[in-house]
Amino acid sequence: MKSIWENYKTDIAYDELMSSEFQPRQISHRLCQYLNTLNKNDIDKRKMAAELAILEMGISFTVYSDEGNIDRAWPFDIIPRILSAKEWRTIEKGLKQRLTALNCFIADVYGEQEFLKAGKMPADIIHSSKNFRKECVGMKPRHNVWANICGTDLVRDKDGVMYVLEDNLRVPSGVSYMLENRVITKRVFPELLQDIDILPIDDYPSQLQGMLASIAPEHISKPQIVVLTPGIYNSAYFEHAYLAQQMGAQLVEGGDLVVNDDDCVYMRTIEGLEKVDVIYRRIDDDFLDPEVFRKDSALGVPGLMRAWKAGNVSLANAPGAGVADDKVVYAYVPEMIRFYLNEEPILPNVETYLCDNPEHLEYVLAHLPELVVKPANESGGYGMIVGPHATAKEIAEFREIIKANPRNYIGQPTLSISTAPTLCKGKLEPRHIDLRPFILQGEDTFVTAGGLTRVALRKGSLVVNSSQGGGSKDTWIINMEHK
Amino acid sequence: MLSRSAERLYWLARYLERTENIARLVSVHMNLLLDLPFGVEMGWLQLVRINAAKQEFYEKYKAANERNVTRFLLVDASYSGSLFSSLSAARENIRTSRDLLPDEAWEQVNEMYLFTKNNLDTVHNRSHRIALLNEILKGCQRFTGLLSGYMSHNHPYRFIRLGRNIERADMTSRILDLSSLLLSDSRSDEMRQYETILWVNILKSLNAQLMYRQHVRSSVNGDDVLNFLLLNTTLPRAVGCCIAEIADAINALPNNDSLPEALVNLKAYVQAIDTKNTTQAQLRGILDDLQNKLGELHFRIAKNWFLRAAE
Repeated sequence: MKSIWENYKTDIAYDELMSSEFQPRQISHRLCQYLNTLNKNDIDKRKMAAELAILEMGISFTVYSDEGNIDRAWPFDIIPRILSAKEWRTIEKGLKQRLTALNCFIADVYGEQEFLKAGKMPADIIHSSKNFRKECVGMKPRHNVWANICGTDLVRDKDGVMYVLEDNLRVPSGVSYMLENRVITKRVFPELLQDIDILPIDDYPSQLQGMLASIAPEHISKPQIVVLTPGIYNSAYFEHAYLAQQMGAQLVEGGDLVVNDDDCVYMRTIEGLEKVDVIYRRIDDDFLDPEVFRKDSALGVPGLMRAWKAGNVSLANAPGAGVADDKVVYAYVPEMIRFYLNEEPILPNVETYLCDNPEHLEYVLAHLPELVVKPANESGGYGMIVGPHATAKEIAEFREIIKANPRNYIGQPTLSISTAPTLCKGKLEPRHIDLRPFILQGEDTFVTAGGLTRVALRKGSLVVNSSQGGGSKDTWIINMEHK
Repeated sequence: MLSRSAERLYWLARYLERTENIARLVSVHMNLLLDLPFGVEMGWLQLVRINAAKQEFYEKYKAANERNVTRFLLVDASYSGSLFSSLSAARENIRTSRDLLPDEAWEQVNEMYLFTKNNLDTVHNRSHRIALLNEILKGCQRFTGLLSGYMSHNHPYRFIRLGRNIERADMTSRILDLSSLLLSDSRSDEMRQYETILWVNILKSLNAQLMYRQHVRSSVNGDDVLNFLLLNTTLPRAVGCCIAEIADAINALPNNDSLPEALVNLKAYVQAIDTKNTTQAQLRGILDDLQNKLGELHFRIAKNWFLRAAE
């Protein structure tokens, strides 16, 4: 192999594309063959072409800093990540199973609470969850589905098994980057995409539109669908605008909406007030309605909860759905699948120690240098500690933080998450990656073909979040069977 | 259509039109200076005057020479009327309106923005400046063309048309303001000698030379040029045509009851302008009035469609 593979290491973790330093896996055979026809100069050119495309298409995310908000170009690695369609079919089934069970659970939590009554989970976990919204008790959203859009994070450990790391049920983001990554890859490697059978992903916006239409209040044939964004300063604003545009829906801010005395939601238009039927909201529960949740919220719409409870507008995801997006609740998902669906989980959880449980707490405190400990309710990779990468001082400090609020922490073994070849200064190096597929559930359930592969661009780093130096890759699900 | 979106598209169009106008103005002026002998009163300061920015200019620069004026008008991010500031504002408005426009529209504006941003320091060099201005002029035309070809001619499109034509009429009236200099009784003999070249230059800055020749069929003279650029209803950059476009857009928009009267007044005002035997002072008065009336129309449009205070 030529120089871009020089000193490529496959002994760090399971490598997604290479079975050894010189041997591509079956799925990446064609890609590697192709890459070998390119020299360093060619590769650099393709990389620059990708960067230019990203700038011109304006694919960006916003980073908050002391100097104000900066719009940064989306960091993208041109080497795709590949999965076989055969493996994907199992994962897809597992994801559908998981979201179905989670939705049964959320409906149950705000309904009869049979799961708790059956002793499957201590009731206290729910009542102490800050994402449990008592205002939602007794509600029944369309199809009894609460989490309509879910982004599930998957990682592969050294044993080659895909594990579910977390379920994002509040306002998961990243799907627009998944779509744009493919657009860029098509521009950068047109000759390569032609002769590999890659599952298409570009029907996501129409699937999303269809799902949102399916949850509209009953008897509305052509629902008015809007995307509610916190505005231009939100880190995912690009995505909000992108999805609205792709669906042909209106992109609205809180100030564009008003709830009238009839408990219906209207938007302010050039023709006066126009009724809104479905809101794909990208604002957290806390900021959704200052009448009910945070009073100081200027992003939300006063009265929105009233309208929702009266059944005059559908919200996706439903308020309160975040109760199942809690790393403590996560530990119980396999049990939910057995309880509600009477099935065995297809996708395994990562072993999880709940610091709320005294025995588990003791174990976590004793094994901190080996474990990853995360807060139950944060996202974006904040407030966590990766034991093997932490200093003794950091570990000692974190021990006290955990002891002060055990309910808020979980511990997991540090996985050796898989790597994939990533272009670093003109040559390929292994970098750790994860995968976030997106699952839609309304009347039907849909899973994206693949998802967003995030990559930790810093050597050795396990943190893939874009706000902390992560990038992304195009994800190919390829069909090998008819070849 | 959301009121907020209407407002953003309207401003998007105004800022892009402004961007294009500045580019054309500077580009034509550069050409003109190459034709005229030294000493004719057509220095760079005229361009600053057109934009009513003389005071602001002198707060930042000492001499109104080519280098300073082009820097100020093209790339000075601290002057809100510069080409780069206008383009940045256009980009900010389209970034927040992507849900209403074809993808290519955003990419076009974004590309122009990135190109300008990467070339800010090269404009002191004449040939680089010409390249930048050409890129901007082409980019603006591509934008107009792709909207016309890819987009439904719906309400969002009408707000773009509205913004574009108000800005355009305003700029034409400012350029004609410059021509008032040509009518000044105190103009030098040397100036009188080059009058035709100067009038042609004014036609060129509005891309109107060919259409003028076809329409007027006489040699270029002040009266006819003024008449053509104010009253013609088919030349896109003539004030009369801009007003017709504005009226067309307004009449097709909903809830427009409060506007036709203002439009009729504006139309009547323009059509009553008598360009024959106009003195410099009269012309300036007429153009000032016209600019005020356009400002008033903008205010009424904003009040009618954009304000989102509790209803």
